[in-house]
Amino acid sequence: MPALQSPPPPPVVQVREMDFCYGSSIALEGINLAVERYRITALIGASGCGKSTLLRCINRMNDRVPGARVTKGEILVKGKNIHDDDVDLTQLRKQVGMVFQKSSPFPKTIYENVAYGQRTHGVKSKDILDDAVERALRHAALWEELKDRLDQNALGLSGGQQQRLCIARAIATRPDVLLMDEPCSALDPIATLKIEELMHQLAREFTVIIVTHNMQQAVRVSDYTAFLHLGKLVEFAETDALFSNPRQKLTESYLRGTFS
Amino acid sequence: MTPNPTAVGNPFAGAKNQQERRERITRWLLRLVTFFIVAVTLGILALIAIKGSPVVFRSQWPFVNTKFLTELPSTLHVIEDVKGNKQEVEVGHADEVKAGLGDNFHSETTISYSGGGILGPIVGTALLVLVSISVALFLGVSCAIYLSEYAKHGKFLELVRLAILNLAGVPSVVFGLFGLGAFVLTAPVFTHMPMDRSILIIPLGFTTLSFEGWDTCVLSGGFTLAFVILPVIITASEQCLQAVPQGFRETSMALGATRWQTIRYSVLPFAMPGILTSSILGIARAAGETAPIMFTAALAFKDKLPWQKALPPLPADASIFAHWEQSVSRLLGVFTESVQALPYHIYTIAAKIPQNEYSERAQYGSVFVFLVLVATLAATSIWLRRRLRAKYRW
Repeated sequence: MPALQSPPPPPVVQVREMDFCYGSSIALEGINLAVERYRITALIGASGCGKSTLLRCINRMNDRVPGARVTKGEILVKGKNIHDDDVDLTQLRKQVGMVFQKSSPFPKTIYENVAYGQRTHGVKSKDILDDAVERALRHAALWEELKDRLDQNALGLSGGQQQRLCIARAIATRPDVLLMDEPCSALDPIATLKIEELMHQLAREFTVIIVTHNMQQAVRVSDYTAFLHLGKLVEFAETDALFSNPRQKLTESYLRGTFS
Repeated sequence: MTPNPTAVGNPFAGAKNQQERRERITRWLLRLVTFFIVAVTLGILALIAIKGSPVVFRSQWPFVNTKFLTELPSTLHVIEDVKGNKQEVEVGHADEVKAGLGDNFHSETTISYSGGGILGPIVGTALLVLVSISVALFLGVSCAIYLSEYAKHGKFLELVRLAILNLAGVPSVVFGLFGLGAFVLTAPVFTHMPMDRSILIIPLGFTTLSFEGWDTCVLSGGFTLAFVILPVIITASEQCLQAVPQGFRETSMALGATRWQTIRYSVLPFAMPGILTSSILGIARAAGETAPIMFTAALAFKDKLPWQKALPPLPADASIFAHWEQSVSRLLGVFTESVQALPYHIYTIAAKIPQNEYSERAQYGSVFVFLVLVATLAATSIWLRRRLRAKYRW
């Protein structure tokens, strides 16, 4: 390694000592996480460990849940505490996109689905919209398949195409961070493979955080992996290191599938 | 139960015959009740169709009784000559006919409201339905959006829901009195000359806002009917909004849409088919109610259509603009006129004692037309819903 290396870029998402509660029950406790730019970070763990909750904290989607709140600590995105009063939620969500477990295209045309984010942010110019739609669809490796039927209903697409359309829709607003909540759990292996290939492409321009319950998937796609257990972040390391040489007993037994 | 001794070798033997009989009796009882209900419904429809269609339809071109559909109600005069021949004539021609008969004249009967046609009531009901469904959809959908999308779950929300449920149980005549008090006598109007009965007068400089009521008119009646059908619309709209997948809302918000944008573009369009369906029920109910409009909009008899109000004649050299202005005020004036309405008209004829063949004819004719109109409205809504469904299906 050269001696004169520039300092590492600041993490684009940083979670510090965060506690998160649903009403009176604690869902996440003492979470520390620093997500590096242009990398794929996977959150793994058993069902109910809080990995989805953590993901949804980053674009404040939990605000919709009554009684859910961050009780301690802070989340910084691009260096700004996202719970500050002067943070505009629509701007935050424009820059922190999200793809859900169940692909849910709107029952509108393919074009309208992808243009939705831009439209809600007041873009009216047809040229800008066309451009954004094409770029997003190219990014999601859908342009060649769909360019001739942009005006068809998105519900006519296959499951895998629908999910890639949702990815295209999420990146059409040019976010910095893309959150993916088990994006492949409803897809067949071939569609899953396509999405995973796509994720490597996406990581060139976006920072991706993915929740997955499929450990092989975490190994295949991610650069870093965080293992959560019962609301606590047990281990966070480079994916290779975590899977080949876990430092925590708990991580090891989870990876081996010998959970008690 | 003691095991049946004859059923050795069959461990599952039971008192089969008795059970089967009970089963059969129950099934037949339930079936008969259902058939009975269907039979009664069909009977009602058949009676109306059999007695009403001869009034409305004709065996010769143009196959419909145009007079019945295009004239205003009037008093029917039946003149009988000495030979027993009866002649039906309108008010204006009675004396003429009597004079023509001369010594052959025997007797004359007059039957109020049973002559002429029912155009007045048809127009009145159409206007009332138009106003009430517009008002009710606007208020009801707004309320449902608030309850479904904005309101926080809790005691207050429960209270609101309870209030809406109770509203549905209020007798319709109570709505009528409410409408009389609220819309006919106290609703605010802009006027230069407030009436004496005005409760509150707020001067606005260029004019005054006077709480003196809208009088008996389409507007008062339409608003009153709107409150009658509001509970149906609110409840149904809320259910339709809830039926839109939560995923649409989440996705939309995650894309940075505000809550209103989310509702406007990703919830409301998909709930609209259902809301329109529920408004079918509202329309049928609004068209059929008598009590709420008795004090607020409807007259037993009116010899003018709502747009035939006498306006001061324009001077001969009046400009195009003046004519245009008068046409507009005539058109808008439709809503501030009292009208006849079908259900009230039917009530008026039916309440006249003694009944005779002529009043019965007018009655069944009106009922038949009324039924056809409501069915047409319902069919239109269903057609509209199917078109929207095809467009917005998930």
